Amino acid sequence: MPELWLSPAPPRRELVRELRARAGELWPALRVIAEEVLGADASIDWVALEPGGRAVVVLVGEAGQDLELVARALAQRAWLEPRIRDWLQLAPRIGLRPEAGVRALLICPVFRGEALAAARSLGPEVLSLASYRCVRDGSGVSVLLEPVGVAPGAQGVAAAPPPALEPFRTGLTDLDLGLTPEERREFEQLASPGGGAE
Amino acid sequence: MPRNLGDVADYFLPRAGGATAAARRERAQPVRPPWRAERPAALPIVAIPVGDRDVLRAAFAWNLAVEVARLGASAALLAPQGEEPSPLWPESGPGPVGSEVVLTQATGLPELARAALDLAVSRAAESDAGGLVLVRVPPAWLAGANDARALLRWVLLFTAGEPRDLLETYALAKAVLVRHPDARIGVTVHAARRLGDAERAFRSLAAVAARHLGRSVVSYGLLVDDLHVFRGIVARRPIGLEHPQSRAARALRDVARLLLDDARRWHVA
Repeated sequence: MPELWLSPAPPRRELVRELRARAGELWPALRVIAEEVLGADASIDWVALEPGGRAVVVLVGEAGQDLELVARALAQRAWLEPRIRDWLQLAPRIGLRPEAGVRALLICPVFRGEALAAARSLGPEVLSLASYRCVRDGSGVSVLLEPVGVAPGAQGVAAAPPPALEPFRTGLTDLDLGLTPEERREFEQLASPGGGAE
Repeated sequence: MPRNLGDVADYFLPRAGGATAAARRERAQPVRPPWRAERPAALPIVAIPVGDRDVLRAAFAWNLAVEVARLGASAALLAPQGEEPSPLWPESGPGPVGSEVVLTQATGLPELARAALDLAVSRAAESDAGGLVLVRVPPAWLAGANDARALLRWVLLFTAGEPRDLLETYALAKAVLVRHPDARIGVTVHAARRLGDAERAFRSLAAVAARHLGRSVVSYGLLVDDLHVFRGIVARRPIGLEHPQSRAARALRDVARLLLDDARRWHVA
């Protein structure tokens, strides 16, 4: 049996590819829907989708980048959240639910105390962490990935919030329309079975 | 490196089919108009309410401008300058087949109306074949639409056939008509699965408008939300040039022709 050695990380592209494969094993319910998305002034490694329709921003960092990664995660999460509806217009059946929000998953070799405290404070609905190690196994390098704290696959699926009336495509809300109850009723009748003015 | 919405969506939408450069050049040749209208003082203005992030209807508006240009007429799309790069439009400036996207610093309806008039006058002076100025109006601005008669004389509303979409469209029509009762409100239905669904949706809307506003709305046909529309949005390429034989392109051309016919009729009248 070959001996295992801790190894430096492979080139980033290879590392990210390996991590994606490991993440797929660790959280099989997560589905990657976009890679290398240029978000808030920097690239998001992946955008994934949870079964409940919540988007997950996944960022991969190197040793020592954990604190920077926390800040970037919050920025990218804020960048992505208002864009979910745009994405939905282009791919309505992709399964995203804007009301389910966006969560960030950070993958880094080590998280220091401040990063852990930040993640704890924000909670797993906002930020979760996973660490990786690179191991030389014979001639190849394997990447080991493990969740830190709350695993997104276990608890991270967003619970469906109570249904809320969506704003219209124009961005207006029901309050903006200025319609009388009689006018509204006309369209409610259209929605009822057998409805439809001719 | 991916940059914004269109590029992002490219990850989960197929790329537009590759047309050869020669084929593109050939398609890009404007068709000579069957008429040669007397040069008007200003091109007709069509206001199109489109939300800040409504990429679908924005894409319809831009593609309509391109189709108007393909019919040999002048076509400019004017929009308030929002965030840059905008998720709604290609970059401002000359576009395919002589169409044009123009951005304005207007922050309200009166300013937008002035910018639209200026553009309509300048383009009329340059155009032998008539044309249209399409203007994207932020829907929230319609609430203060008392001072924009020139802009809201002719309004085109895109609506899907669902009751909630029809409700919203009716509300937009009402917002215009209560302030400008002589405005012409056109409606183009999209996202209908069948022609019959689109017709039913339009008739329902027209009937409610007649009952409550005492006014009718005018049909400007049907647009098709097929995959080519989404591919076109992602690639920021006009459907009429990329997939001229698609249902989506033919429908857009029909709507463009209806608009141009009305523009010409009004001018002659």
